[in-house]
Amino acid sequence: MNILLCCCAGMSTSLVVSKMEEAAKEQGKDYKIWAVEQGEVANEIGQFDVLLLGPQVRHLQRKLTKTVNGTAPVAVIEPTAYGSCNGPAVLKQAEDLYADFHK
Amino acid sequence: MASFGEKFEDTMMTVSEVIGDNKYLTAIKDAFTAFMPFIIIGSMGTLLKTLISSTTTGLGIWIPQLAALDPAFTAINFCTMSFMTIPIVFLIAMNLAKQKGGPEHATGVVAVAAFISMVPSSVSVEGLESAIAAMDNTIFGAQGLFIGMLTALIFGSFFIWLTSIDAIKIKMPPSVPAGIAGSFNIMIPVFITLAVSSIFGVVFHLATGDYINNWIYDVLQAPLEVIFNSPMGVLAMVFVSNLFWVLGIHGGLMITPIRNAMFAAAIAANTAAAAAGAAPDQVFTMGFWCAFATVGGAGGTLCLIFATFIFSKRDDHRAIAKLALLPGICGISEPVVFGYPLVLNPTFAIPFLFCSPIMTAIALFATNVGFMPCNTVDVPFGIPIILNAIVGHGWQGAVIQVIMLVVGTLVWIPFVMVANRQWDKEQAAAAA
Repeated sequence: MNILLCCCAGMSTSLVVSKMEEAAKEQGKDYKIWAVEQGEVANEIGQFDVLLLGPQVRHLQRKLTKTVNGTAPVAVIEPTAYGSCNGPAVLKQAEDLYADFHK
Repeated sequence: MASFGEKFEDTMMTVSEVIGDNKYLTAIKDAFTAFMPFIIIGSMGTLLKTLISSTTTGLGIWIPQLAALDPAFTAINFCTMSFMTIPIVFLIAMNLAKQKGGPEHATGVVAVAAFISMVPSSVSVEGLESAIAAMDNTIFGAQGLFIGMLTALIFGSFFIWLTSIDAIKIKMPPSVPAGIAGSFNIMIPVFITLAVSSIFGVVFHLATGDYINNWIYDVLQAPLEVIFNSPMGVLAMVFVSNLFWVLGIHGGLMITPIRNAMFAAAIAANTAAAAAGAAPDQVFTMGFWCAFATVGGAGGTLCLIFATFIFSKRDDHRAIAKLALLPGICGISEPVVFGYPLVLNPTFAIPFLFCSPIMTAIALFATNVGFMPCNTVDVPFGIPIILNAIVGHGWQGAVIQVIMLVVGTLVWIPFVMVANRQWDKEQAAAAA
């Protein structure tokens, strides 16, 4: 599964990305997880299966959902998990989204 | 109280959505984001000059031959900062086309052409009878920024609209390759756009006696610069950004379109002043924002981390503080904002709103009394504290930053104490 995260400069979400990668590795899962600046999402379409937004750019959810145009589910990362850089929790959120989307 | 809170959140969310959705503001924001590395490098040209080729402050003291490199370092500064309007016009128009689904590169080029078509292409020199063919470099530099931005948005939109009209596309037979057909398709829109822009430029000059670029600078850009460079303007920007952060929305992102344009104009003015041997006087730059207005993360959250280490009895806060320390030192506040959380947290709302304006006021004061210089070397986001102040504002900057962090920590301490008491109450309630 390919998971894309986005925030303002792609900086704070990259902290979460590294924690998610750790969690995925521990669970023996081979996921591609990366973060970009919110304006870059359009260039990544087709590359990701799930798009997660940092809660600080949650006002862009509607716009980015339009951008992604049904190719992948879009959701805002649960704020507490995001703030505490809880890799396993965010990973779980991504997996659930993916499962829901492909039900 | 709850209803006010909800109303406030609703309003701010709507504002955020409108700003985030607005194609014009997004185009401006993305253009400045793309151009940011060039501004930093341009300001490095000034740094290289001071450190290497200068015969008073650089290696040139010992090796005078290095002074020969001076024009090269000046050129690095000129081709980026003093020429920023042209690439910015291109980037804004291109990003606008991306947003609106028009031809990206053609729109960028058309906007640059439309801009050039409206500004004077000759300069009268005292002592010469006829004007010489030359362009005033205020056209390309920061002084042309606002007219450039307006041109990119207005003529860019106009051109994109024209290209959407089927009736004025020059049709080619299907055997003609798509690339060639594409360039014919836009020929009439290019002609109409440039005809309108150039005629507008001439008519404006005839009607007012002034060129549009000078007029926009005098009427729009110069007053805005005065407002945003005044202490009240700077503090207002910081406060508005924090208002959004209290809701957990990226405040910096909200004010970026206008803020980054002011940043670009300010740092260019500072390097130009330094090059002319004058003291730079524009306070409000990217370097100032990163090193002072949002030091340790928007809202002064690094100071909360310090206050937590010293006084907090709460294990949950201490755990987040440990996790958030390193990001905080690099100016990233999100772990604190969402971890504590500070979002809509009534205990911490007051310091979250007012801590960074207080800290910024200290930096402004230090600048106004002449202790701290305005920067000519710009500093990007993400550089650790102390270092970011030294690069931009010298040792004085670092001193001010330390003072600010101490004051900021003092601001947060009482509220950390309140959180302790709430925690005790919660624990007692849970135990009962």
